[in-house]
Amino acid sequence: MAVMALGCSLAVQAQSRYALIGQSAPDFALHAAVGGNARLSEHRGEVVVLSFWSSRCTPCRTQLAALNRSLATYHSAGLAMFGIGVDDDPAQAREFARSASVSFALLLDPAKGVSRSYQVDNLPMTVLIDRSGTVRNVLRDYSPESEQLYLQQLRALLNE
Amino acid sequence: MLQMTRAMPPIDAAPRHAARTALLAPLLAGVLLAAFPPAALGAPPAGPEVTTPAASAAPPAGEPPAAESSPDTRGLDQEIQGLKKDVVDLNKDLFILEEELLFPANTQVAVFLSVDVGQFFALDSVQLKLDRKEVINYLYTPRELDALLKGGVQRLYLGNLKVGAHELVAFFSGKGPNERAYKRGASLRFEKGVGAKYLELKIDDRQRKLQPEFEIKDWE
Repeated sequence: MAVMALGCSLAVQAQSRYALIGQSAPDFALHAAVGGNARLSEHRGEVVVLSFWSSRCTPCRTQLAALNRSLATYHSAGLAMFGIGVDDDPAQAREFARSASVSFALLLDPAKGVSRSYQVDNLPMTVLIDRSGTVRNVLRDYSPESEQLYLQQLRALLNE
Repeated sequence: MLQMTRAMPPIDAAPRHAARTALLAPLLAGVLLAAFPPAALGAPPAGPEVTTPAASAAPPAGEPPAAESSPDTRGLDQEIQGLKKDVVDLNKDLFILEEELLFPANTQVAVFLSVDVGQFFALDSVQLKLDRKEVINYLYTPRELDALLKGGVQRLYLGNLKVGAHELVAFFSGKGPNERAYKRGASLRFEKGVGAKYLELKIDDRQRKLQPEFEIKDWE
């Protein structure tokens, strides 16, 4: 319990330093590694989860698999999910995307314009956006505890 | 024809939209305060005659509270709906005013995009250059393409230009016949007069050559 509480408090501290919380999520349009392009503003009215990843980040693969499970559970409740790859080399990112085998779009941001606008300073990083397009939560790491916190926050947003 | 101009604003429209929202917020608050003063909403009046909320809200004995209050609630709902409509109208007027101020008719230039058939070309992005300066680079999603293929016309760019000769260059990227990467350009030299200038980028299928055709049309 104490560890959980410490984890939650650390997460709250991390969130408090994230300047975009409470702000309108910056819009973007990106190419997908596989499939069509995606634009964030088209998903207004849905809870959107953005997960920033890189092919060289080992926990990213585990986290993408966990996010994929949550998408399968909550997709019908109005959840949309995008993985945003920050690799310089699009070919490397595409290879990673093909091997990740997730059901949501993995987008490519080689110019890092979107990563910069979302102030990505750690990988993996997950941003939760509510139905009105406002950034509500951020998780800057992946662990079983942070996954529990993510699921709690996600359920709260879906219930709003 | 399906108009996509409001649904897909140009990229630089976001800060203007935020500014409009910021302008609307105090206006809305003012309208709400004028319509529902604190006293009307059940807040205790200021001054010595302060009653407790419980005492003021308590109905007289022998009076069914819920059944009596429903017509009032309906009236309040109608008032709220009316206010919401006023706010939407106000937003529309502000949008038109903003466009007139930022893009006056004598300097305005607008570029539209339409797609006809699309059998030989699947659009991915369009880059526009006005007088050798990139003004927009727009990436299309499957939903937007679907709307364009259904006959939608998108206002891709809205800006200002001075009177005189200008050049518009458009680069179209996408997939051509046999799913191959396809990139083509089209250019137009035009004369900007005193009035607003409207240009249209048209993507058509040329059946004889089994190739797409890219054209820039000047709406005289």
